[in-house]
Amino acid sequence: MIELLDPTVEVKAQPIGYVDRPRSLEGKRVGLIENTKFNSDTLLLRIGEILKTEYGAAETRLFHKHNASVPAHEEIIQEIRKTCDVMVAGIGD
Amino acid sequence: MSATLTSKRHRVEDVADAIEFCFQQGWTDGLPVIPPTQDRVVTMLEAARLDAKQEIGFVAHRAVSITAEKVAINAVMAGCKPEYMPVVVAAVEGIADPRWSYHGPGTSTAGAGVLMIVNGPIARELDVNAGDNLFGPGWRANLTIGRAVRLVMRNVCGSIPGTLDRGTLGHPGKLSYVIAENEQDSPWTPLHVERGFRREQSTVTVMAAEAPHQFYNQLSNTAEGVLTTLCDDMRISGNVMGQPHYAIVLAGEHMRTIAGDGWDKKRIRQYVFEHTQNSHAHLKQTQRMSGPLQPGDDIKLRPLVASPDDILVVAAGGRAGAFSVYIPGWSSARNSQAVTKEVRR
Repeated sequence: MIELLDPTVEVKAQPIGYVDRPRSLEGKRVGLIENTKFNSDTLLLRIGEILKTEYGAAETRLFHKHNASVPAHEEIIQEIRKTCDVMVAGIGD
Repeated sequence: MSATLTSKRHRVEDVADAIEFCFQQGWTDGLPVIPPTQDRVVTMLEAARLDAKQEIGFVAHRAVSITAEKVAINAVMAGCKPEYMPVVVAAVEGIADPRWSYHGPGTSTAGAGVLMIVNGPIARELDVNAGDNLFGPGWRANLTIGRAVRLVMRNVCGSIPGTLDRGTLGHPGKLSYVIAENEQDSPWTPLHVERGFRREQSTVTVMAAEAPHQFYNQLSNTAEGVLTTLCDDMRISGNVMGQPHYAIVLAGEHMRTIAGDGWDKKRIRQYVFEHTQNSHAHLKQTQRMSGPLQPGDDIKLRPLVASPDDILVVAAGGRAGAFSVYIPGWSSARNSQAVTKEVRR
């Protein structure tokens, strides 16, 4: 009989708190976070336009990550928290 | 020591069952592994004088803590000798460094390997190959140290090909990609000394990297001649628009030719930086740069790398043969920087 040690890690559960989804986008301020990849800004701005014209969103603001491989940095997260009601994060490639 | 090991345990009948069990659990890179038994894991930890619980790195993007125990288990599985453990640990520290930025090279469709360049006395002590067949096969240290790091990425960080590791093509260096610099024969300042360490320190430099590209120059006996060929080969390579790192590995004949003309690594970097730039016109005509051709695009140049310092020059490879390689880094040096860590013993 041989006993083996497990090389993997057990993933620890992390509770994530979600805010309630708004029932409507009417009058909401929308943050758009683009990941700096080619055309991701074009795609998100187009989505922003649709949210304004078809869903009544009040305004959109575009934010840029430092690069595609890292999470959004604290500065823009705080700015979005202050100035936006909902946000759309997307990738372009 | 045994009481301090906290990993889950699995019982199997014999060695053959153990090897098969590891395959079935999805713990291997596709090759058989050495069964990670307690004795072997404890010996591995002791060789690096590490406590099992010690954190070697924390990968923030994956919210994963990499402990010495897990590194040791994976190093056993990879076939490392215990004395390799400090090098594996330093390399794991390197890929967990925020500057290396794990999530990108660990996940990206562009399929990066972890190029590891070992410098200092430990390279010779452990017989990390710096000569013939530099990129393999044939040397246990080169093949198992890199394999251990990749197994840590797989088993601890979750970078499993097809799920979180989405490399479109990958490359053989993703199994193991370890070289040493040939400091004994090299006339140049070793890589680790250029990067701020003392010659007698041992280090590992990790760079997220594509496969090596070999170039030929069997005609020239001047530095400029050899490097002209290199630059012509290299100018359109890798992520041309991304400005990644590059490693240039100069083998024996080219090393002697270039050094014989009195060129040092700094001059090589500067020359390569200046001679690998592409015109905007060429980049646009070959569908690498977006947008219509503009007047002046034929004389507007885009450097292949953002700075000469993003080129790592390493002396290594066999004595004979007028070949060397360049290695494009993954993506962009902005997205993942090469990191050098000291090997602590």
